Amino acid sequence: MTQEVVTIENKTGIHARPASIFVQTATKFKSKIQLKAKGKTVDAKSILMIMSLGLVKGTEITILADGPDEADAVKALKDLVDSKFGEE
Amino acid sequence: MAEVIRGKGVISGIAVGKIMLAGQNLDGYLVHYKAGSKEEEKEKARAALTAVAENLRTSIERLKKQGMVEQAAIMEAHRMMVQDPMMEENIMAKIEETASAPHAVLKAAEAQAVLFEQMADEYFAARAVDLRDVGKRVAKFILGVKEPEIGDEKVILCGREIEPSVIAGMPTENIAGVLLGSGSTTAHAVIIAKARAIPTIVGLNKEDRIDKIKDGDHVILDGERGEILVNPSAEERARYDERIRKQQELAAHYAALKDLPAVTPDGIKIDLMANIGSHMDVDNALSYGAEGVGLFRSEFVFMGRQDIPNEEDQFKAYKEAVEKCGGHLCVIRTMDIGGDKPLPYLNIPKEENPFLGYRAVRISLERHDLFLPQLKAILRAGVYGKAAIMIPMIINVAEFKKVKELIEEAKLELAHEGKSYADNVQVGIMVETPAAAIMTPVFAKYVDFFSIGTNDLVQYTLACDRGNASISHLYNHFNPAVLRLIRRTITSAREAGIWAGMCGEMASDPNAAVLLMAMGIHELSMSAPSIPRVKEKLRAVSSIQAKEVLSDVMKMEDADEIKAYLQKVL
Repeated sequence: MTQEVVTIENKTGIHARPASIFVQTATKFKSKIQLKAKGKTVDAKSILMIMSLGLVKGTEITILADGPDEADAVKALKDLVDSKFGEE
Repeated sequence: MAEVIRGKGVISGIAVGKIMLAGQNLDGYLVHYKAGSKEEEKEKARAALTAVAENLRTSIERLKKQGMVEQAAIMEAHRMMVQDPMMEENIMAKIEETASAPHAVLKAAEAQAVLFEQMADEYFAARAVDLRDVGKRVAKFILGVKEPEIGDEKVILCGREIEPSVIAGMPTENIAGVLLGSGSTTAHAVIIAKARAIPTIVGLNKEDRIDKIKDGDHVILDGERGEILVNPSAEERARYDERIRKQQELAAHYAALKDLPAVTPDGIKIDLMANIGSHMDVDNALSYGAEGVGLFRSEFVFMGRQDIPNEEDQFKAYKEAVEKCGGHLCVIRTMDIGGDKPLPYLNIPKEENPFLGYRAVRISLERHDLFLPQLKAILRAGVYGKAAIMIPMIINVAEFKKVKELIEEAKLELAHEGKSYADNVQVGIMVETPAAAIMTPVFAKYVDFFSIGTNDLVQYTLACDRGNASISHLYNHFNPAVLRLIRRTITSAREAGIWAGMCGEMASDPNAAVLLMAMGIHELSMSAPSIPRVKEKLRAVSSIQAKEVLSDVMKMEDADEIKAYLQKVL
């Protein structure tokens, strides 16, 4: 199990477009990936679950991965959040 | 022999094409849906999810190729919602409850949408729209309702209800005709079709006639007779070819007039402008040679929604229209709504006599929460071209003075908010009550223009409901009383040095146009496809001849006599 804490920095939070990029990235990996925020843990490969968390700018999230490529998965997703999903 | 289906033809012309089912309101389809066993329904839902995701993938590729990256990203989000594990789980659970795949899909999407709506953040709350859209897409697939896909072939759109955005969203050259289940001739879809001269037949819900028309059927649509020939034989097709040829000849003849001005042989120029219902109609109006917009019916911005449209939404619509008019004028009529067109957020009680009731400017002057944002939006749009404000249903000068005060207030607010606006937007009134027409010499001191709304002016002057078939013989714009009110209005404008125009049905009657030209009118505004025929007439009759005709007409005592006389001499 690998995990990493990141803060959402892009202006509009994880709305439809960033959420879709996030899920697209997550589904590339074989590991089971979860996202923990606001006291809930959800499947990081479900766009609906991620969007239903309502992740706005400044929210702290934890990315957890468990499986053969867990380290790469967490790194890729963390980089994505850190890059503000290419916005701004 | 092809089967002939009859409806009510509302926009004439003959169209030939392939049927594309395009119902957006699914209620009619849901009622007729026959569900199988729960297992079958689950299988249908799964298959639909896969197929819709695949269709979306194709669209996304196309959008990317066209460089529409943002749209592609949104579609990508939709695709992921369709393939979301939670979505499928919820749909399966709903099938257990409802035993119907399309109902289950819509309910699952709705439940998720409601969850989104409850979120505090406005942006996420707004994503509920995406979910409902996705739900509809999948349900449509199961119900066999096609998404309008733009191909090379001309299509005839057919549906129990068709959302105006579907027609508006397709290029005119791709839509040959429209077949509508509901019988309303004032449905937004019909009004948009009218502005684009697309042959249209309505009222096909009667006896479920619309169900006889299947997706992909080849049909001939005769908008004049209200007849639809499904899968016609070669001989039947040939019979229509001659009529289609004549129609094309006329269209080509009119197209040749497009860039010519509406000038009489002795040099009197009349501005011919278009009546539009949406900012999306402007391009089409210009293609008929319209020199701007003489009537933008802003109530469409208010209809079909659950809340008051805000200043920003209105601004976008007006700005686009004003911008597209280029250097020409774009006259925006403020909200003309009353008890006959109820809006959920206005709470107007049902009235005995809505045409004489709480409507139009009477509402605007009381509901500043509606009126100010509209005025501000128009003033802001004025920055992008030449906008004008037109006030409907005015009966006295005091009302107009109040309107002017509110316009000043709107300007002050805009200045405070640091938003740019146009200071020189013309403000005029629609002359559509006998009271206003009689008082035009006084109004002329305050207004920048008059635009005569004949539909209501005839109705109010003659105390004659224009929708009542049993008294339709009384409703006539050539009635001498009506002609006198019109002449008075135009003369008042001329004497005060302001302009007078007309934006009612009468303006699209070529013979009437000649009389109006003789009276000294400056501008005529009509549904765009009527422009060429009016222009042709004006270019053929000199103002000297027209004045002689007018002088004869003003001596006549009867509307039918006038009409017959004009037909004879013009």
